[in-house]
Amino acid sequence: MIVALVGNQNSGKTTLFNTLTGANQKVGNWPGVTIERKEGHVKGTDITIVDLPGIYSLSPYSSEEKISRNFALDANPDLIINIVDATSLERSLYLTTQLLETGRDVIIALNMYDLVKKRNIHIDKDKLEKMLNTTVVDISAKTGEGVDHLLEHIKTHDIKPNKHLNIYPKDVSEALKSVENDLKLADVDNTYFYAVKTFEGENDYRKHIKPESEKKIEEVVKKYDMDGEELIASLRYDFIDEVKKECFTDEEVKIRESQANKKATSWTDKLDKIFLNKWAAIPIFIVIMALVYILSVGLVGGLTVSFVDALFNGSETIELNFFGVVWEVPFEIAGIGPGLGGWLESIGASPWAVSLVADGIVAGVGAVCNFVPQLIILFLCLALLETTGYMSRISFFLDRIFHKFGLSGKSLVPFIVGVGCSVPGIMACRTVEDENERKASVILTPLMPCSAKLPIISAFAGFFFATYAWIISLSFYFIAIILILVFGIIFKKYIFKGSHTTFISELPEYKTPNASYVARDVWDRTMSFIKRAGTIILLCSVVVWFLGSFTWQFQYVDGELITINDSLLANVGMCFAWVFAPMLGGNLSWGAAVSAVTGLVAKEEVIGSMTTIAALAGGEADLFGPLDTVFNFFNPITAFAFMTFNLFSAPCFGALGAMKNELGSNKAMLKSMAFLTGFAWLVASLIGSVSWIITAAGGSI
Amino acid sequence: MSSKHHHIAVGEIVPLSYLHRGERAKVVSLHNDNHALRRRLLDMGITKGVEIYIKKVAPLGDPIDVALRGYELCLRKADMAEIMVEKL
Repeated sequence: MIVALVGNQNSGKTTLFNTLTGANQKVGNWPGVTIERKEGHVKGTDITIVDLPGIYSLSPYSSEEKISRNFALDANPDLIINIVDATSLERSLYLTTQLLETGRDVIIALNMYDLVKKRNIHIDKDKLEKMLNTTVVDISAKTGEGVDHLLEHIKTHDIKPNKHLNIYPKDVSEALKSVENDLKLADVDNTYFYAVKTFEGENDYRKHIKPESEKKIEEVVKKYDMDGEELIASLRYDFIDEVKKECFTDEEVKIRESQANKKATSWTDKLDKIFLNKWAAIPIFIVIMALVYILSVGLVGGLTVSFVDALFNGSETIELNFFGVVWEVPFEIAGIGPGLGGWLESIGASPWAVSLVADGIVAGVGAVCNFVPQLIILFLCLALLETTGYMSRISFFLDRIFHKFGLSGKSLVPFIVGVGCSVPGIMACRTVEDENERKASVILTPLMPCSAKLPIISAFAGFFFATYAWIISLSFYFIAIILILVFGIIFKKYIFKGSHTTFISELPEYKTPNASYVARDVWDRTMSFIKRAGTIILLCSVVVWFLGSFTWQFQYVDGELITINDSLLANVGMCFAWVFAPMLGGNLSWGAAVSAVTGLVAKEEVIGSMTTIAALAGGEADLFGPLDTVFNFFNPITAFAFMTFNLFSAPCFGALGAMKNELGSNKAMLKSMAFLTGFAWLVASLIGSVSWIITAAGGSI
Repeated sequence: MSSKHHHIAVGEIVPLSYLHRGERAKVVSLHNDNHALRRRLLDMGITKGVEIYIKKVAPLGDPIDVALRGYELCLRKADMAEIMVEKL
């Protein structure tokens, strides 16, 4: 049995989905968390639950809403659970009136009943059931109250069959009936629903309508002095007003209304007085975002990178970097790499096997794992931004600025999510209503330095800018934002020209984050990063190691007679090293060229590859260190240029795949990729040339 | 909001975007030129006769959070200009 979950955005569908199926789909506190349909099974039954993106009506507006309409209408689910937010009954019931006009059976899950009770609102459930002529179950998806009861109804199919609730006055009903009869003759499915649609003026089935019915529609519309669309919408709301009057006790309605009218009574309104204050909003926003960064990369990053590195590669001391104040702490550890290498040697393994493990796998994977502690904090901050409801406020007040630059306030969600990972960021662009703003957001989201780019920033900035590392790192986020705005306006002017744009959203209430959801979210994101390190990064490191360890004649690079410069990797890299020469201050570096290209697989692999190459060349995983003979030409300027290129050029294959899906074609994706890469190359080359000029003039950097 | 629309007298019919924070108005009509937008506004309950209250204004003056039918909605001023209202 297939059961579809349909309801408004942010009404708790995914929470209910998780409760019913025991799944752990991401929930958040902003409209549009769910952008794809997701399926899950109820344990011990044959019931499949389908979670759908939130919709307000069966006339979809944005691309993710179409998924829901199509599923509810065309995929023939056995049952629709219409989740209704009991705290905003009026708006939720609008969709309900439409669902009850389809041929599907509908059960209403009156959600947030715990809140309703807390706020002392009384809803007469029996009367509601009667007026809607369907089964109503009150639940709290969050606490799980009433969910068993709902499940019982589903299992036993104890649900009133859908008899097409008729909410319209007699004249409208008659016109509808006449249209429906015409459609029945034409063998249309879902006749009542499409009769209403046709009445509203939709053209899909117009051809089946007989002139008499057309005339009836015309007469009714004239009588009410509205077009069909407006008439149906206002009749639906009239009916809902009626329901509200009957099912809410009068006194409660009055209290509710007076509360809605009074200024700043609820917690949410009080907080909004601060967070949406005319003068304070933007400073607060900047402070919050800076705190996120300083806490994760600055504080936790500075204190842990050296420690994790020691775990992998061994060390005698570790560095604790507290915003530029560095302590050397004695910490003697053999490290996984040298440890494994020593053990392999002791059992008589060949030098290349030792090198594969120590230089290839442990160095490459370790270089990436150094960043796990700070990512945990970053993911935690992102989860808090998402679940508290603050992210929606940022969208709200930045819309004014973003709109000027051809984007939507809602683009901010992809950009913030993109700080974690571009792939969900790119997918989150679906909530942007305007097609042009959506496409611009998809192309620009990868500019936001994602968590995989953090290793690149930290490794270079940490070495070349030492005490100022965190300022340099932070500057890349600002550069990203400036680039996004500049490109936004270029797109608006020259590519996605002339369109009327819309921003329709709602501000969710502020909520205390649910600790277990936040923990779950952080865990999932961190594990996916670690998993990548253990699979794709590991594989990639082995490939880089292999190509760096053997020559065309399949001779092993022993570092004495045959150096790494004779390796396959060096030979391949030299073919296109010239492309990178301008940004590297004129240096032809096959190592940098190869590493940048491996960034296409995963961005953190840039550092993974560099570390592996440095290890192969110098015998130790000591990137930029005294033993590093491959990358010792870098200076602060070329380091900055190389970072710029890697951060803003084509994103990884995963993100490119997501771009292809959201832009709709390979061609559009390739164009965007070429555009991003070309631009990043140009800027990086310009920066790199500065180093060239200084050295050519005899100066030193 | 914009300084050119200072005093809107009660009963005057103006685009919704002319109203200031704290003011309320009743919807008179919706423009027809952008069909998708009109459909969305209707779906969100902005129909003839409904009362709208200007609740929150974004720090930069746009968009605007309005209350109607017991819930809230954020709209861009450009879209609000399509809604003709009578000030209450």
